[in-house]
Amino acid sequence: MNPRRLPPSDRRDAGQKRVVAIAAAVMVAFLVIVGQLWYLQVLEGGRFLDASDKNRTRVRPIAAPRGILFDRHGAPLVDNRPAFTLSLIPRELDRDVERRNAALGRVASLLQISYEELVEAADKVSPDSLSPVRVRRGLTLEDVAKVEEWKLELPGVIVEVEPQRAYPTRRFAAHLLGYVREANDDQLKQGRYRRGDMVGQSGLERLLDEYLRGRDGGEQIEVDALGRPIRTIKQTEPQPGAQVYTTLDRRIQEAAERALEGHAGAVVVMDPRSGDVLAMVSAPAFEVDRFTSTIDRAAWLKVVQDPAHPLLNRVIQSQYAPGSVFKIVVAAAGLQEGTLTPMDRTHCNGEFHLGAWTFKDWKEGGHGGVDLRRAIVQSCNIFFYQAGLRVGGSTIARYANQFGFGAATGVDLPGEKLGLIPHPKIRQGKKAATWHAGETVNMSIGQGQVLVTPMQVARFMSAVANGGVLWKPRLVQRVERLERGVVWSDPGKVNGHVELSPLVWAFLRQSLWSVVNEGGTGAAARIPGLDIAGKTGTAQTIANSRADKGQDHAWFAAFAPLNDPEVVVIVLAEGGGKGGQVAAPIARKILQSIFMEKVAAIEILG
Amino acid sequence: MMIDRRLLQNVDWSLLAGATVLAGLSATTLACLHPGRAGSAVALRQVAWFGIGLVALAVVASIDYQKLVRVAPILYVLAVLAVASVFVVGRSVSGARRWIGVGPFSVQPSELFKLAFILTVVWFLTSRWAQPVTSGTVAWLFPLAALPAGLIVKQPDLGTALLIFPVLIVLLVGAGIGARLLSAMGAVALAAAPVAWLALKDYQRERILVYLDPFRDPLGSAYNVIQAKIAIGSGQLLGKGVAGATQSRLAFLPERHTDFIFAVFAEMWGFVGCLVLLAAYALVLLRGFDIAASAREPVGRLVALGATTLIASQVLVNVGMVTGLLPVVGIPLPLMSYGGSSMVVSLMALGLLLSVRMRQFQ
Repeated sequence: MNPRRLPPSDRRDAGQKRVVAIAAAVMVAFLVIVGQLWYLQVLEGGRFLDASDKNRTRVRPIAAPRGILFDRHGAPLVDNRPAFTLSLIPRELDRDVERRNAALGRVASLLQISYEELVEAADKVSPDSLSPVRVRRGLTLEDVAKVEEWKLELPGVIVEVEPQRAYPTRRFAAHLLGYVREANDDQLKQGRYRRGDMVGQSGLERLLDEYLRGRDGGEQIEVDALGRPIRTIKQTEPQPGAQVYTTLDRRIQEAAERALEGHAGAVVVMDPRSGDVLAMVSAPAFEVDRFTSTIDRAAWLKVVQDPAHPLLNRVIQSQYAPGSVFKIVVAAAGLQEGTLTPMDRTHCNGEFHLGAWTFKDWKEGGHGGVDLRRAIVQSCNIFFYQAGLRVGGSTIARYANQFGFGAATGVDLPGEKLGLIPHPKIRQGKKAATWHAGETVNMSIGQGQVLVTPMQVARFMSAVANGGVLWKPRLVQRVERLERGVVWSDPGKVNGHVELSPLVWAFLRQSLWSVVNEGGTGAAARIPGLDIAGKTGTAQTIANSRADKGQDHAWFAAFAPLNDPEVVVIVLAEGGGKGGQVAAPIARKILQSIFMEKVAAIEILG
Repeated sequence: MMIDRRLLQNVDWSLLAGATVLAGLSATTLACLHPGRAGSAVALRQVAWFGIGLVALAVVASIDYQKLVRVAPILYVLAVLAVASVFVVGRSVSGARRWIGVGPFSVQPSELFKLAFILTVVWFLTSRWAQPVTSGTVAWLFPLAALPAGLIVKQPDLGTALLIFPVLIVLLVGAGIGARLLSAMGAVALAAAPVAWLALKDYQRERILVYLDPFRDPLGSAYNVIQAKIAIGSGQLLGKGVAGATQSRLAFLPERHTDFIFAVFAEMWGFVGCLVLLAAYALVLLRGFDIAASAREPVGRLVALGATTLIASQVLVNVGMVTGLLPVVGIPLPLMSYGGSSMVVSLMALGLLLSVRMRQFQ
C-alpha cells in the first residue's frame, strides 16, 4: 500500500465509483432480462401458451448422404439410394419403462426382429436424447407399412429415409472401396461417432471417412393429435459428404475383375508414368453390400471365418514368393555391377549341382545352350542359379531393396505388409545362422525366403517400364466439397530411384518384350501389334512340387507398349499353376480391354 | 472458534434472507416437478445441501478474509491439482469427467476452484496495489487464468471455464485498470480469435458454431431453447401453477432440475413470479456490491467484488441462456439449480461477503 500517492479518502472514492459502475452494469443486464421476459410472457405469452397446449413438436432427422467415389473419368464407383431405416427417438419413447417395452415388443413382433436388441438399444442412450437410434436398416416396403399402421401406439418409433450405399455389382472393387458399417463399440468410445452412425470400416471408405460422411440435418415439425405432420417449424438441410475422385478406371477395374474370375489372387493395373492405380482386384472378394444393412452375427462370422479369407486384401496384405519375376532383379544387378554380360552363355541340362544338393530346372531335360537373354525369355533356372552365385546374395538383396522390395509402398490403405528380402550380410553377423550358398541359389529364382506383395511387384515393374522411378501408388486424386472446392489432394510422390545404365534398361525391356513376342514363357499374353513386355513367374509353395499339381502361385508382370509404356499389369493367381499358362492369359484379357480401340484398329487394318 | 461479539452485530441479515428465499424457491420448484414422494425427496436433498452450505458459509465468514487472501496461492495450487485430478480419478457422467468421489459424495473441483481463483487474483492485484495496473500485471494474470480454464474446458465444461473471464475482468476494473489498457485487451482478444479459429480442427469448429448458433444442430440445443421459450412464454403474467405446468412436468424441458430450472419456475409462476425471483437475486447482488463499495481497504473491496461478480455472472448467463438471449452453455443457476457443489460454493461466496462486512467496522 502506498499512501503517499493518494490520500486514503480519495482512493476509496475512486474505488467506490468503480464498484457502483459495475453494479449499475449488472442491473442494466437484469433490466434487459426483465424486458425479454415481458416480451416472452406478456406480449407473446398467448402464442406460447397455444404452443404448449398442443406441444406436439417432433424432431425428425434428415440423414446426410455419404460422399460419392468416382473413377478417374468421373464415373461413379459407388452411389447412394434411399433406404428405409427403423429408428427410435429416445425422448419421444414412453417414459414408463413397462409401457415403452410393450411398444418395443410390438415392433419386434411386427418386424420379426429381436426384442432384446431393441430394449438394449433404447437402454443404451439417455432418455433425453433427440438423436435417432438407428436400430434396423434396410426395411422393406411391407415393414414400413406395418410400422405406419401402428404408428399411434408406437410413440418414438419412426421410419427414416436414409441414403444408403449402392454398388454397381455386389463385389465391385470391394477391397479398395471398403465397406461401411455402423460404428462399433471401440469407435463409439473415441467419442467422434454417435450410436448407429455409418462409418467406413476398410479401404478408402475408412481412409477418407472424415470427408465422406456428411452432417445430418433435421426438421422440427408440428403434428396433430393423431401424429400427422401439420407444418414444418424449422428445417436444417443435411450436408452431403465430399466427393472423392480416385485414380481408378472403372472400365479397367471391371475388366480385371472379369479376367480373374474363378481364381483366388490379385490384379494390379498401374500407370508407370504417375503411379496411379487404375485397377486393384483381390479375389475372392466379399459382398460389400452385405455389411451395409444390419448384418446378423452368423453371416458376419461366415465371412470372417471363410477359409478363402475374402476380407484379406491380397494386393497389399498377402506375401508371396516372386518366382521367376525376380530374375529381372538378378539380371539388373549383374549387368549393372559387371558380373553378368549379355554374352554369358551356359549349357542347361536341367540340373544344377551345388555340393551335395541338386537344383532342378522347371523343364525336364533343360533348355540347352542359353545366353542371358534366352535365359530370361525361357525363364531358365540353371542359368540364373549360376548367375546368382556370380552376382552374390548381398548384391541381389541390395538391388531388390532399391527396387522397393522389403519396404512398404506407402499406399494409402491400412495393413500393408512389407515382404521380405533376406540379407546375407546381416545373417553372417549372427553365429547360429549362417548364409548358405544354396540360399543365394534359391533367391536368384525368387524362391526361398523372398516374399513380395503384388503391389510391390507393380511398383517394381513400373520402375522397369519408366526407367527407375519408384512411385508411391496413388489411389485418390482429390477430394472435393460442393461449395468449398478441393479440400484434399494427392499430387503424387516418388519414394525411390533405381540408377541403372541406359543400356541395361534397354536390354531388360527388350528381353521382356521377347518373353511375350519371341516364343518365350509369356507367349500366351501376346496381342499382335501391341508391344507387350512381361515376365512370368511360378512361385513354389511346396519344395519341388510339380506345377500341374495346382499348388503353385502363377505370376505375370507386364507392361505395354514397349516404347513409352502406359500401363503395368500384375496378375497373381493363387494355386493357379504355371505363370505362363494361367496368369499370362489373364493379363492378356486385361490388356486387350485396356487397349480395346488400338487392338480393333490393328485388326481392321490387318 | 472465538468470534468477537462486535462481529456478530454486523452480519448482513438481508443478504442471508435473500439467499434463504432463493433456496426455498428452489426446493419448492423441485418438489413441484415430480408428484408425490419423489418430488419431496429431491427437495429435501436440496434443503440438506442448503444446510451444509450454511455451515460452510459460517466457517468462511468466521475466518478473516485477509488471512484467506494471504494463503490464496496455496489454495490456488491445491484447486488446480484437484481440477487436474479429475482426469485421473474422476467420475464420468454422460461423457464429462467433472466429479471426484469424496466418501459418499461427488465433488466438482471446478466449482471450488472459482473461489480459490478469486482469492488468488485479489492477492496478486493487492500485492502491487500501489502501482497502477499495467499491461505487465495483465500478462502475469493471463496464464493464471488460462491454465485452469484449459483444464476445465477439457473436462469438458466450457461454461465454467468461460466464467473465469468476467470475474477476472471485473476484478481488474475494481483494481483500477485504465480504460486504454482495457480496450487494448479487448482488441488483442479480437485479434487472437481468428488465429485460434484457424488452429482448431474441423469438428472442434463445428462444436463452437453450434454453441453460437444452436440451429446448426437441430436435434440438440436448438430444440431445448425452443422448448424453454415455450415453457417461459406460456407462463404468461401469473403462471400456470403447479398442476398446469405441462411443459415442465411432461418432460418437454431438458435438464429441468439443473440448468433449465428457471424455465420451470417461469412456467409455474409467470412474469410476476419471475420478478420476485429476480428481485431476490438483485437484493443479494446489491448487498454484495454495497459491501464492496463500503469496504475500508482494497483487499476487502476486491474480495467482495469478486464474490458478487461470480454470482452475478452465473445468474445473468444462465437466465440469458434459458430465455434465448445467449448461446447455450451449461451453467447452473446459483442457489436454484439442483446440485450440492454449486449450492455449497455459492453459499461460501456469500460467506466471503459476510466476512468482509463483519470486519468493515473494526
